[in-house]
Amino acid sequence: MTGGGANKVAIVGIGSSTLSRDAGRSVGALALDAVRNAIIDSGVPRDKIDGVSGIYSTDQPTVWPGYVVESLGLKNIVWSNCASPPSANTVTEGILAVAAGACDYAVCYHAKFRWDIVSGAARKDPLRRAPRSTFDPAMTMPLVEPLGVPNGMFSAMQRHAHEFGTTREHLGMIVVNNRTWALQNEAAAFRDVPLSMEDYLAAPQIAPLMSALDMDMPIDGAMAVVITTAERASDLPNRPAIVEASSNGLTGGTDFFFRAFDSYAAYRVLLDRLWSRSGLSINDMDVVNIYDGFSSLALEWIEAAFDVRGEAGGFLEDSWDAEANKLSFFGRIPMSTHGGNLGEGRVQGLGHVLEAVRQLRGTADSRQIDDAKLALVVNGNNPVNAGMILRAG
Amino acid sequence: MTPIWPTRMDHDTVTYWNVLREGKLVLCRCKQCQTWIHPPRACCPSCWSDDIGHESPSGRATLFSYLVQPTAPNQPPEVIGWAELAEQKELFVVATVEGMPLDNVQIGAPLTLGFREQGDTNLPVFFAGDGK
Repeated sequence: MTGGGANKVAIVGIGSSTLSRDAGRSVGALALDAVRNAIIDSGVPRDKIDGVSGIYSTDQPTVWPGYVVESLGLKNIVWSNCASPPSANTVTEGILAVAAGACDYAVCYHAKFRWDIVSGAARKDPLRRAPRSTFDPAMTMPLVEPLGVPNGMFSAMQRHAHEFGTTREHLGMIVVNNRTWALQNEAAAFRDVPLSMEDYLAAPQIAPLMSALDMDMPIDGAMAVVITTAERASDLPNRPAIVEASSNGLTGGTDFFFRAFDSYAAYRVLLDRLWSRSGLSINDMDVVNIYDGFSSLALEWIEAAFDVRGEAGGFLEDSWDAEANKLSFFGRIPMSTHGGNLGEGRVQGLGHVLEAVRQLRGTADSRQIDDAKLALVVNGNNPVNAGMILRAG
Repeated sequence: MTPIWPTRMDHDTVTYWNVLREGKLVLCRCKQCQTWIHPPRACCPSCWSDDIGHESPSGRATLFSYLVQPTAPNQPPEVIGWAELAEQKELFVVATVEGMPLDNVQIGAPLTLGFREQGDTNLPVFFAGDGK
C-alpha cells in the first residue's frame, strides 16, 4: 500500500445502474443510481460517507463529485477528487484517501453515457447532446488533425501483427471469451447475444485486425464502490475485498498519436509495483480482470501480466478452450468473468473492479470461481493505466 | 469548407508551423544533449535543459506502422504512416505516405520526407523509397 503507518483498506460496497444502449435516464441519474446502490450494499449509513471520487474522462462528459454530493444530500464530505483517466483511478484515489486517513468511508463512481459524440444513432436524440468542449491535455491534437486524427492504438496492433505474427483469431479468443462470460451475467449489455468464433471472424475488419466487435460499444451505465479501512470493514455486513496493492503506471500523455507504441513501459511500471508491494506473482491469482476497451489493449495487457512479451498469440492458443469458448490461463485462471467492457458494457474498467469483489465475496452466481482468494484488475493502456490486487477478507 | 491548419498554436509549436508554411520541417532538438523532441516541448525530457533549438532532420525514415485512413466522401483513403526518423529511435513523425499501394504497404520500408500543399500551409509527407 502506501508504506509505514498507512491503513489497510478494503472495498466493502459495490453498486451499478442498469447497463444498456438506452437507459431512459440522464448521465447524472445513472451516477446517482450507482452511488446509492453501492452505499446501500455497503451497509454504511449515508451520513457516515465522508469522501467522494469521480473521473472526468477524456472522451465523454460526465458528472463531477459536487453533482453527486448535492443530489444525494451527502452532508459530511471532507475529501473529494476528480482524477484523470484511466477510470479505475476513481477507485485507486479512494484507496489512497482512506489509507491516509483523509476520510473514513469513500464512495468512488464512474458514469458513462451514449452521447451524440460517440454514437451516430444518438445524433437524432435531443436528450443525448454532449456538452461542447475542447479537451487536448497532451497539447498535440493540431499535429494530427489534418490527418483525420489517426488512432495510434490501431497502428500499434498493426505493428504487433508485423513483428510477432499476431492474427485475428488471437484477438477473437479475447472477444469471444468476454462475450461468452457475458451470457452468464444478467446485468450485461450483451447478456443474450452469443458470439461464436465463426461469427467473430466473419465480421468486417474496420481497423488493423479489428472489427466493430473488438471495440467496446457505448452504453448508458454507471458503477461505484465504497471503500473503508479493513478494521472498520469487520463491522459491516459484506465479506471485504482487501486491497493488497494499488498503483498507477504513467509514462506519457493521454493522446495516442505519437507514443502509442508498445514499449510496454507503463505496463511494466504498474505491474512491477503491484507484484513488489504485494509480494505476490501472477501465479498466485485466481482470476484476472483485464481491461478491454479495445481487444488489442487486452492482448498487450496479457503479454505484460503473464510476462510473455511478443508471444501473446501462442499463449492465447495454449489457453483457449474451443468447446467452452473461454480462455483459461495456466489451465485454471479465467479472464473477466463478468464479460469485460466488450460483453458486460463500457463502464471503462469499473466493471472489472466490481466483478473482482463479487468473485472474492463468493457472490458471482453461475460465474463463481471455486475458492477465489486473489484477483488482479488492470485498467487503461500503455501510457496511462491503473491496477490493483484484491484479496478475499 | 476546408479547415485552416493548424487549428491552434502555442509558444512551443509556433516555430514548427511557421517554418512548415515555407515548405521546411523543423523539429525541436536539445542544444545541450542533442536529443530530438517531437511533439514540440519547452524542456528536454532527457537532461531538463530549457535550451531547445529547431533543426531540420535529414528526411530519411523507415515506416514503423501505419493505418489506412478514410478521407473525404468519394475520395480514396490514404496511408497514414508513423515514420521513425533515422536521427533517433522512436522519433516519430505522423504523416501521409505516398507511393505505396493500399494493398501492399510495407512496414520497415525506407521513406523520404517531402511536402504537400494543403490550404495555405504545407504538411509533411513521406514518399516510399530512399530518395535516390
